[in-house]
Amino acid sequence: MILVLALTIGALFSLGTYLVLQRNLTRVIIGLALLTHGANLLLLGVGGKAGEPPVSGIDPSTMSDPLPQAMVLTAIVISFSVTMFLLALAYRSWTLNRSDEVEDDVEDRRIAREPVRDAEDRL
Amino acid sequence: MLVLIALHFVVALSAPFAARAFGRRVLLLGAAVSGVTFAWLLLRTGDVLNGEVLSEQLVWVGDIGLKLSVRLDGFGLMMALLVSGIGVLVFLYATAYMPREKNGRFCGYLIAFAGSMLGLVLSNNLLGLFVFWELTTITSYLLIGWEDTLESARSAAWRALIVTGAGGLAMLAGFILIGQAAGTYELSAITEAPPGGVAVAVGVGLVLLGAFTKSAQFPFQGWLPDAMAAPTPVSAYLHSATMVKAGIVLLARFAAPFSDLDFWQPVVIGIGLTTMLIGGVRALQQTDLKRLLAFGTVSQLGFMTTLFGVGTSEAIAAGVAVIFAHSLFKAGLFMVAGAVDHEAGTRDLRELTGLRHRMPVTFWVATICAASMAAIPPLLGFLSKELAYDELLHSGDWGIVALAGIIAGSAITLAYSVRFVWGAFWDKTPSGAPSAARVPEPTAAHEPGLGLLGPPALLAALSLLFGLWPEPAAALTGAAAEALDQVAEVHLTLWNGLTLPLVLSLVTIALGVGLIALARTSILGGREFEPRFAPDAGYRVFVDGLGVSARYVSAAVQNGSLPVYLGVILVTAVALPSAALLSTDGLGIDTSRAGSGIQIAVCALVIVAALGTTLARRRFVAVMLLGAVGYGIGTLFIIQGGPDLALTQFVVETVGVIGFMLVLRHLPQEFVRRRHRPTKVLRAAVAIIVGVFVTLFALVAFTARGAVPISDYFIENAESLGGGKNIVNVIVVDFRGLDTLGEISVVTVAVLGIVSLVFAVRRGRGGDPDAPVTELARDDVAEPAPSEAP
Amino acid sequence: MRPARSVILEQGLRATFHTILLFSVWLFFAGHNAPGGGFPAGLVAGSAFVLRYVTFGTDGLPRLAPELLCGFGLVLAAGTGFGSWFLGGQFLESDVIEIHLPVIGEAHMSTVAFFDAGVFFIVVGIVVGILRYLGSEPDSSEAETSP
Repeated sequence: MILVLALTIGALFSLGTYLVLQRNLTRVIIGLALLTHGANLLLLGVGGKAGEPPVSGIDPSTMSDPLPQAMVLTAIVISFSVTMFLLALAYRSWTLNRSDEVEDDVEDRRIAREPVRDAEDRL
Repeated sequence: MLVLIALHFVVALSAPFAARAFGRRVLLLGAAVSGVTFAWLLLRTGDVLNGEVLSEQLVWVGDIGLKLSVRLDGFGLMMALLVSGIGVLVFLYATAYMPREKNGRFCGYLIAFAGSMLGLVLSNNLLGLFVFWELTTITSYLLIGWEDTLESARSAAWRALIVTGAGGLAMLAGFILIGQAAGTYELSAITEAPPGGVAVAVGVGLVLLGAFTKSAQFPFQGWLPDAMAAPTPVSAYLHSATMVKAGIVLLARFAAPFSDLDFWQPVVIGIGLTTMLIGGVRALQQTDLKRLLAFGTVSQLGFMTTLFGVGTSEAIAAGVAVIFAHSLFKAGLFMVAGAVDHEAGTRDLRELTGLRHRMPVTFWVATICAASMAAIPPLLGFLSKELAYDELLHSGDWGIVALAGIIAGSAITLAYSVRFVWGAFWDKTPSGAPSAARVPEPTAAHEPGLGLLGPPALLAALSLLFGLWPEPAAALTGAAAEALDQVAEVHLTLWNGLTLPLVLSLVTIALGVGLIALARTSILGGREFEPRFAPDAGYRVFVDGLGVSARYVSAAVQNGSLPVYLGVILVTAVALPSAALLSTDGLGIDTSRAGSGIQIAVCALVIVAALGTTLARRRFVAVMLLGAVGYGIGTLFIIQGGPDLALTQFVVETVGVIGFMLVLRHLPQEFVRRRHRPTKVLRAAVAIIVGVFVTLFALVAFTARGAVPISDYFIENAESLGGGKNIVNVIVVDFRGLDTLGEISVVTVAVLGIVSLVFAVRRGRGGDPDAPVTELARDDVAEPAPSEAP
Repeated sequence: MRPARSVILEQGLRATFHTILLFSVWLFFAGHNAPGGGFPAGLVAGSAFVLRYVTFGTDGLPRLAPELLCGFGLVLAAGTGFGSWFLGGQFLESDVIEIHLPVIGEAHMSTVAFFDAGVFFIVVGIVVGILRYLGSEPDSSEAETSP
């Protein structure tokens, strides 16, 4: 099982990375979602063996660790809201530019290409 | 004392508002603040001269010794009296000098500067001292660059900021080294029991660096003459009693405890003498009266540095007297130069002629101050210099070395003092050579008013008064010297009998006169001198180099491509821990933990769905498969024993897919295809590296639980402390409630972000701009920020 | 934009909407001792509005601005923290309040319930916010600009 879980996490991270490195904003968002899933699973897996739901009154030795669960719980909601924010960003990019591709930063490219100006001009 | 310092800043902040009501007279407000300070100090003078020490403190961060503690000892009293007393005169002078407009901000800066300086001289905590030090740097930057339409003023302000700011950083490092070694940051405690060791020596070296930059010592002297771009009241204040004295104050405080370090005497004396001579020679070459005085200040600062470099009790006593005398005459000289500039419209000594007839009172004030600078009896400058000669004779070998250099420097001082008076007031033919045959038409000007003449006249009178009646000055400087070094005494007397110092003083005067006679056409001539090697070259090369290298670095690192940034971050995130992972041996990977068939099946489903969503060409398909991944994860949560999680995950996934749908219906169905093989391969390579690393990491981490988990505490106490049986919920809302508070804040911010993004779109496309909610999108539209009224 | 009407959906919703809301309230209170709590309860309540949005379009959404809902939740949660602070405890320190109810008898609730309620409102707020700002608003603005 541990091997299967690790492989699943690895696959989620790998595919998420592949998507995040693309220029299409929708794919980047999907990639981030995959990365989040992987991270959540990892957190939970690090918490130890599977067990009973952590509710007071049952034997702690059969209980699964509550702390990673609490962390994952908040992580799920955070990543959900961030994903939605990114979607709004993609929507805005589309309505303004008719494109949801992430282009290179124009200003950065310009600075990188431009010849060195006299430093004193900048003072 | 703390209240007085705070008062400065409060008034400084309110000055721009007060200016609306009072106009130029707002500067009198500054005079009032300095005056109150001065009066308060005078009331305490008797106690302090009797050896009492007043101290106050305000603990800020106690654990690291960060306190605002001030201490009024003899030296602090003398410096504070100078800062506030000359402050009063400068503010009065500025009231007459400054143009009528926009004085509020100027006044605010100047008061803030006075407050910072007061804090600096009174501060007893190294960290507090550093804060005030930096405050003087910032406020002086604002003051030097006051004429912000002039390129020269802006670059001069920059230069002062860069040089003194860099020195300040070095000094902070030095303070920390010393403070850590001493176990305290209280200056009085450190000087009482100075720490030792290599770290302290390095620390003292760094502090010296800071002091040298601030007090314009070689090779950092260049910023000071440039700073003459400031309005004259600022120059008179910054370069007589305050800003440039900050470094000297530090040297004075450190001289007694640290001058027995091996490098102290050679380094400080060497730099001090070099500065004194270079400053003096450069002063002789200037045609601008203020620049002449500025180089004179550099030279005098070198003189003081040399005295504290010698570091014996005697030399320290002399140094204190010289600080006192210099503050009086140099402030007066700057004010005179400003008055001449103000009345005649120029301060180029080649254009000024015959002003001694037109401005006789100004002429005499200038002459007295200059004579004090040149150490002519019976003025205070003479007394202090003779004291210096006397004390150096008793200060060992280094004292003699310093003495020889100082005599040479003083001869030059005499020469440029003469040049100043000659340049400003004497009769000259336009070509520059003095001519007895033909007296040209004097420059059109008349005697300045009381506002411009009163303050320097008072300072000149004091120089004369303390020369003839030195007891008060001796008492004050004596107490100051005693505060620095318990055995130091100041003997300021006009007539000591025919002693060796008197002979040396006469020799100095003779040398100075001889120098003028030898180089008459240069010293009493208007030939402008361009140094063959520009001393500014180092600074220029440094600043230019910084700009060029910053360009190359940002062009290389910040290339504007998001995938490249992310790739670099990911590879780094993988490379560093995997190096650590591989370097440790004996990673026990326990693969024995069994899993059920259903777990394996769900995992397989998750992987397949994730693969599908990655490769999907159509957006909707990708999102649906993403949903499938989410449900799979939710199922895994159930198996792992987290029903809360599973419930949350299922609902989030559902709402999330709907959110995707709502947005994607606006977008084209298919992704744009890119057929660039190399980048695809590179992406895949990075992805595989990350995947492999994470898999290994997970395997190790799963079985690496060594310590007792904190969860045990949560499990035991959830019901008794949190009042609930659902431990996960109790952790979320109670044990780690602060985390959750932060998290829901993020969620709220995300909602606000969504709102403003959507409305920004609406507005950008010409939707109804008056819709009430568009307020939220305001920042997204390129609107000029409402400029603040000065 | 109002979707095409579906009688089945409308009637089904009439039956389920309040049931789902009630379920979310139950989840909220159960969350103390059994699986549930502010996060899942808020999401469930939010999903009730998803159903309403699917059925009735914009008209199905509450008129209250979602960001206000979030703000209210944040104030409530932070207020709980400050409340215990002002009452002499530490920030966010909790206490159990015993309530004597005439018929039901003894009940006790922890002050963290207020904090949890804040979480609940914020989660409802973001779900409704998504529906309104990613759903209704673009619809109406597109209707404006492209008649």
